[in-house]
Amino acid sequence: MLLAHGVGSRTDLPIPIGFALYGAGAAILASFAVLLLFWRSPHLGGADSGRPLPAGLQRVLDGAGPRRGLQAVALLVTAFVVLVALGGPEETSRNLAPWALFVTFWVGIVPASLLLGPVWRFANPLRLLHRLLRPLGPAAPGAHRLPALGLWPAAGSLLVFVWLELVYPDRSEPITVAVFVLAYAAVHLALAQWFGEGWFAAGDGFEAYSTLVARLSPWGRRSDGRLVVRNPLAGALATPGQPGLAALVLVLLGSTAFDGLTRTVWWQTGPGSANDWFSGTVGLLLSIGLVAGLYVLGTRLSGRLAGQDERVQPGRYAATVIPIALGYTVAHYFSLLALDGQTTWILLSNPFGAEGVDLFGTYGNRVDLTAVSADVIALVQVGAIITGHVVGVVLAHERALLSARRARASDQLPLVLVMVVFTLGGLGLLFGF
Amino acid sequence: MTVRPARLPRALAASALVLVLPLAACAGTDAAADGDGSASSTPAPSGASPTEDAGAATTAPAASGTRIEVQVTGGQVAGDTGRVPVAAGEEVTLAITGDAADEVHVHGYDLTTDLVPGTPAEITFDATIPGVFEVELHDAGTVLLTLQVS
Repeated sequence: MLLAHGVGSRTDLPIPIGFALYGAGAAILASFAVLLLFWRSPHLGGADSGRPLPAGLQRVLDGAGPRRGLQAVALLVTAFVVLVALGGPEETSRNLAPWALFVTFWVGIVPASLLLGPVWRFANPLRLLHRLLRPLGPAAPGAHRLPALGLWPAAGSLLVFVWLELVYPDRSEPITVAVFVLAYAAVHLALAQWFGEGWFAAGDGFEAYSTLVARLSPWGRRSDGRLVVRNPLAGALATPGQPGLAALVLVLLGSTAFDGLTRTVWWQTGPGSANDWFSGTVGLLLSIGLVAGLYVLGTRLSGRLAGQDERVQPGRYAATVIPIALGYTVAHYFSLLALDGQTTWILLSNPFGAEGVDLFGTYGNRVDLTAVSADVIALVQVGAIITGHVVGVVLAHERALLSARRARASDQLPLVLVMVVFTLGGLGLLFGF
Repeated sequence: MTVRPARLPRALAASALVLVLPLAACAGTDAAADGDGSASSTPAPSGASPTEDAGAATTAPAASGTRIEVQVTGGQVAGDTGRVPVAAGEEVTLAITGDAADEVHVHGYDLTTDLVPGTPAEITFDATIPGVFEVELHDAGTVLLTLQVS
């Protein structure tokens, strides 16, 4: 199987050019509307905003019980997937492990975090294993170094995963999944032994990803520790400005852009025609590099116009790119989850491919690739890209007003133009030129 | 791969996307008509060709649909390779001739047929599922073409 992403039997049709053009026009219009017509002083709530959840509910959610319980469940499910990867059918189309990892988990973590908050921080099975293993080693001698590292380790961890998902030639083999999951657990448990439990938030790519997406969920934690319901835009702006936050967001954005690129005829017949790890690695790194370069250029230029320290700019605006990265993600993976994602549940009926086993009576089912029509997919794709863009521009506008009360609209122009480039690029990739 | 003229309007439309954007959204209507026109007219030549082919004489009804022919020699793919557009609902016949035994797999539709060296392997089906699907040789892992059903 040589498809662009980890697994899958299909890719999306190019969006109609009308969609692409109207979408692009809407993005540009919205950008200028935000700059010129929107509020002129900070408007969204900050880290202290939000309506608290009932104290009783917070006590339950913050208690150790539900956390450990969900972590144990996640641990069992992970162990089961590894067992299936090792002992189940050898064919990818009959083994649920690759589908569970690349579709159900990796894509599913996005809607779950967007609706429910940082679910993988809550249910991360490695945290449970760490609790069990912690007494065996030294008492986290490297913990004091974590704040300086920020989210850089998570960005590196995610880069490794997206390389596996998008480039590694044997990515869809069940054995790859088993080796990856076991190696991932071993590496992160060892690092957590050194850096302490704080490692998972800083270095576990999946947990950091879930936390990042959850920034746009309606749930948040106020600066006084209370769990609150609040405007997702306020939640996104309240993202702590850690080192490496921009890197994490840009790895996500760049890798998704690369995934879109690999589905174009241009890539498949041109630079990527060899379809090997070399062209893939170079393409992935160049995509991330290009996206990062544009972002740094836009933020620094905006900073220069506003007379602010250019060096802090990329970090300051990192959270405003989260919705754009999320829009890309939804646009590229929505159909994968809705259509090929059915495979996991079908195969769950007979995970080890044993003769005559059909636990839920679904093993004979075929994936219904017409469950979502091509028109709906195209609408979701364009809608996600445009929504991500508009939210990103609004956040950048508010962020500019927060850093300088009388920020001029023209100062924000470079960053907004870079966002427009991201959005037109995203639409272009969907259109498939 | 040789230049496919059918791609040209598409590439133009794509560059038009970049150029037209800053002007006005209403310019999109013309470009859209261009794009659609080229996409729907491309399948016709490949569908009309098979008359002189010996294998096709027995399957005359396939003339109403699209016939896609691919030859594999020494791992190199020739014929209707690359991205092949097909209208949704159309009857599609894939005719694959190879010099090595393998299995042809149409992803998504999940159709397979054995490929015997020297004998054309045919798969006929109604293209009812929209999307982009790979047709590949299972053992060799070679992608023969991608079918774009829209």
